[in-house]
Amino acid sequence: MMNLSPLIRLRVWLRLFLLQGSWNFERLQGLGFFFALYPALQKLYRDEQLQQVCREHAGYFNTHPFLAPSVAGAVLEMEQRRSRNEEQAVNIQDFKEMVAAPYAAVGDAMFWGGLRPLTAGIAILFAVKGIILAPLIFLLLFNLLPFWFRIFGFIYGYRNGIRSLEFLQQHRLPDWAIRIKETAVVLLGGVSAFLVFQQLQAEQIPKGLGFLAIPLVLILALCARRGISTLLLVLLTTAIIICLSLFGFEPTAWL
Amino acid sequence: MLVVDLILGALVALVCGLDRVAVLQIMISRPIVAAPLAGWLLGDIEVGLQVGLMIELLWLARLPVGAAVPPDDTQVAIAGTVLSVALGKLLGLEGIEFILLCLLVAIPFGKFGQFFDRFARTRNRRTMERAEAALEAGNLSAAELYHLSGIAKFSMAALGTYAVIVGGGVLLVPLLAPVLLSGLEHSAEWIRLALPVVGIAVVIGTINVNRSLTLFSASFGMAFLLMWLV
Repeated sequence: MMNLSPLIRLRVWLRLFLLQGSWNFERLQGLGFFFALYPALQKLYRDEQLQQVCREHAGYFNTHPFLAPSVAGAVLEMEQRRSRNEEQAVNIQDFKEMVAAPYAAVGDAMFWGGLRPLTAGIAILFAVKGIILAPLIFLLLFNLLPFWFRIFGFIYGYRNGIRSLEFLQQHRLPDWAIRIKETAVVLLGGVSAFLVFQQLQAEQIPKGLGFLAIPLVLILALCARRGISTLLLVLLTTAIIICLSLFGFEPTAWL
Repeated sequence: MLVVDLILGALVALVCGLDRVAVLQIMISRPIVAAPLAGWLLGDIEVGLQVGLMIELLWLARLPVGAAVPPDDTQVAIAGTVLSVALGKLLGLEGIEFILLCLLVAIPFGKFGQFFDRFARTRNRRTMERAEAALEAGNLSAAELYHLSGIAKFSMAALGTYAVIVGGGVLLVPLLAPVLLSGLEHSAEWIRLALPVVGIAVVIGTINVNRSLTLFSASFGMAFLLMWLV
């Protein structure tokens, strides 16, 4: 059987943007993974063999959508070898199971848990200053890293096949995830300080009182840590502020 | 005009709603993007930016991990913007107080997003079963189409959530405006500050980082001190 042409690989890569189109609680991204690989599988297999391989790939599969191209690239390389009846150290389904969970864990921590708050915090700084390009800045900053992984992860996976397992270790992604999250925490501290400072300046309240925001934020953070929902915290905070203003609490007058 | 504005909002709700899970995931679904986009289409990008700024961080800590379904902040942001702009024009109301009123009505309805999203994912089980049957029968192209039909269910979920929030807002905002707007008059600026700060507190409280509270406090203190003294 032939090698996969760049055009077929491009089709697979583009289809990975629809990976979660039929997400369900039973097979999660399974059907989407089959959908993405289908143009390549059509080239590699025929008839009953094609049907069998498609059924295998439509089974349970779940990983982080930005790291799924790395898995798909490696699977394509392995499928090529299988179609040529070459022996492989690991079965393709076993390989998928082996990489999907660690990739999901690292991806969730790095992209959702770290990069998203970090870039959102930066965009909010621009939005507070009324810069209408803030959404574009957010999109640009956020998507740089995911697209790097989506593009080069796919290429790396296809070139290295099963050896792409070393990807996580080589690039020390778990360490990066922690660093990005720590940076996000530091940045959000700065963003909070900026928001509070601006408000105090606008209301002409002594700036030193801004430090009182730290214990207030920490109390809210501990409430969230204890499982109190964001909705409840928002409604309570809003209700307290409205009540204080209705009962004539004016910080400037009070001070 | 209200109908045209609601339809334009629905278009944004559909496109951005799909970005949440089913298609692309390039983050146009984030409130900081979706709300200004809706505002721009409705002719008031500033309102969208204000809404995006206040909603962006609220549910950021709820990660879309595995089978977890966070509240639909995308539709809250879009519907909040549409209500602020469209209803504002209709009722002759504007300003931060009115934007906040629309948001405070829209935020609790965000919970409906979880219901619609779960419904779409549950319905996709049947899609998957049909696709598996098609694969068994050797009809591989049909299995492909079944996968794409899953996207239609996520579209319905996005539009359903948008419709519930906007519907609830159109009914409630005119009723609540005379009662609550005066109460918001003196507190609006503080609530505008409180919403992103609550979001940040939730992120800090739930993020899996050692000594996150210490890091946050040190960073806040240092940044505040610099702004104060420099």
